[in-house]
Amino acid sequence: MTQTITLLDSIPEKLGTTESWVEKGGVHWLSPDPLNVRELAKTMNDCKARFITITAYQLPGDQGFRMEYHWDLDGQLLGFPFLLAGNTIESIYDLCEAVDWIEREIHEEFALDFLGREYEPLLLRQGDKPGVNLRDTGAPNKPASGLSGREEAK
Amino acid sequence: MSYKIPMGPYHPALEEPYKLDLICEGETVRDAKLHIGFNFRGIERLAETRNYIQVIALMERVCGICSNIHTLTLCQAMEKLTGLIPPPRARYIRVIMAELERLHSHVLWAGIAAKLMGFKTMFMTCFELREQVMDVLQAISGNRVNYSMNRIGGVNRDIDDPLAILGMVEQLEREMVRTVIPIFTTSKTATSRCAGVGILTLEKALSCGVVGPVARASGVAQDIRRAAPYAAYEEMEFDVPVQHGGDVRARLLVRALEIMESCKILRQALTKLPPGELNAGEDKIVFAAGTATSRVEAPRGEVMYSVTWKENARNPSRIHVRTPTFAVMPAIRWMVLGARLADTPLIQASIDPCYSCTDR
Repeated sequence: MTQTITLLDSIPEKLGTTESWVEKGGVHWLSPDPLNVRELAKTMNDCKARFITITAYQLPGDQGFRMEYHWDLDGQLLGFPFLLAGNTIESIYDLCEAVDWIEREIHEEFALDFLGREYEPLLLRQGDKPGVNLRDTGAPNKPASGLSGREEAK
Repeated sequence: MSYKIPMGPYHPALEEPYKLDLICEGETVRDAKLHIGFNFRGIERLAETRNYIQVIALMERVCGICSNIHTLTLCQAMEKLTGLIPPPRARYIRVIMAELERLHSHVLWAGIAAKLMGFKTMFMTCFELREQVMDVLQAISGNRVNYSMNRIGGVNRDIDDPLAILGMVEQLEREMVRTVIPIFTTSKTATSRCAGVGILTLEKALSCGVVGPVARASGVAQDIRRAAPYAAYEEMEFDVPVQHGGDVRARLLVRALEIMESCKILRQALTKLPPGELNAGEDKIVFAAGTATSRVEAPRGEVMYSVTWKENARNPSRIHVRTPTFAVMPAIRWMVLGARLADTPLIQASIDPCYSCTDR
């Protein structure tokens, strides 16, 4: 446990941030601003943390998305939230094999593009447009019709 | 010359639809591609349209086998947002239900694995045992699949006669020790079909981020019940079985040993079940705005829920579910590399896949 705490303490410095961990609801949150997800993935690999998932949230209007990357470090749940103004984000698939399916799922559900990787055909609904399921109106880079993926699917 | 053999989406070896495209040279598998999505129901989207009572019933239907685990994880996350703390009796009942569900899931899997090995007698034996576990679950909850036990701040139903349940658990344990575990661990049929087959190395298990019995069978000693205890697991004594072979046999052994550990936990929880209330007793539930996460060790591994609520809302604004099979299934590609084509049904089944959980 002591080793885990030492590792935890070293992570903000490795990510080049002066922010410190905030523990809330059993999660250790760290919000470096700006967050470089590739640096984050490298740091997590160095710590031998286990990748758990990425959660995407669409924000109201044109505010974009909130992303949360989660890793497990010896039973400690780590969360790295950040805001995404645009429609693209760097992929960490080449650094962390475990993100493959969740990046593909977010691509399909929210029409976010993870740069630097190739996508296999749609995981959920082959032939459908990305964003058909969870993306709502007011999203950045709306489809040409002006409708959201959800509305177009109706 | 290589050729592609599709397995699925509908295949006798698959309990639910998914597709595995196997690239073979002769009888040897050289590559594989997985296709999921055949059970996609859009549950995360649906959850945004349900209030805090309805959403529990909805998430119970993410999975037919570990339905209780999904409501437990969801309720734990919602309890963080509402500040409600389940009383001790409720926390013990949650452990009892979770372990019964693990027993039910592992015995069911053992039966299916036996069937895929061509061991029909064992299949029937396992399903008879599974019936006994389901009888216990029915005796407690009145239901055999979706138990409706969890609520925000506690549980819905009491266990009136824990000693009667204990008797059923002990009988089940005796049968496991007498038949299932010796046959699975010593019979030539099981050994010849499972040993050295479908190996997932420790390195690959770590890089793929696999969880649960599949991870533990490859030497990764992780179990959320131990690493980040929830409900009343902190008060339970149990071991986390770990094997290092990484093959189908190791996965089988891990689950067999986990059945014994579940019985051990059940015995402790049933004998020490504390008196008291079943829930926090709040009539009006108020959610704080924000996101809460919860993790639970399901029969197949770690489940994680991220639940987000807006101020004064009745419905969640987002629920994200990371199921264990979603984390484990991509590793099938590495397990089948170099395997005989005839072994692939058993190899893919050895992760105990839940396709509905994966697709949501």
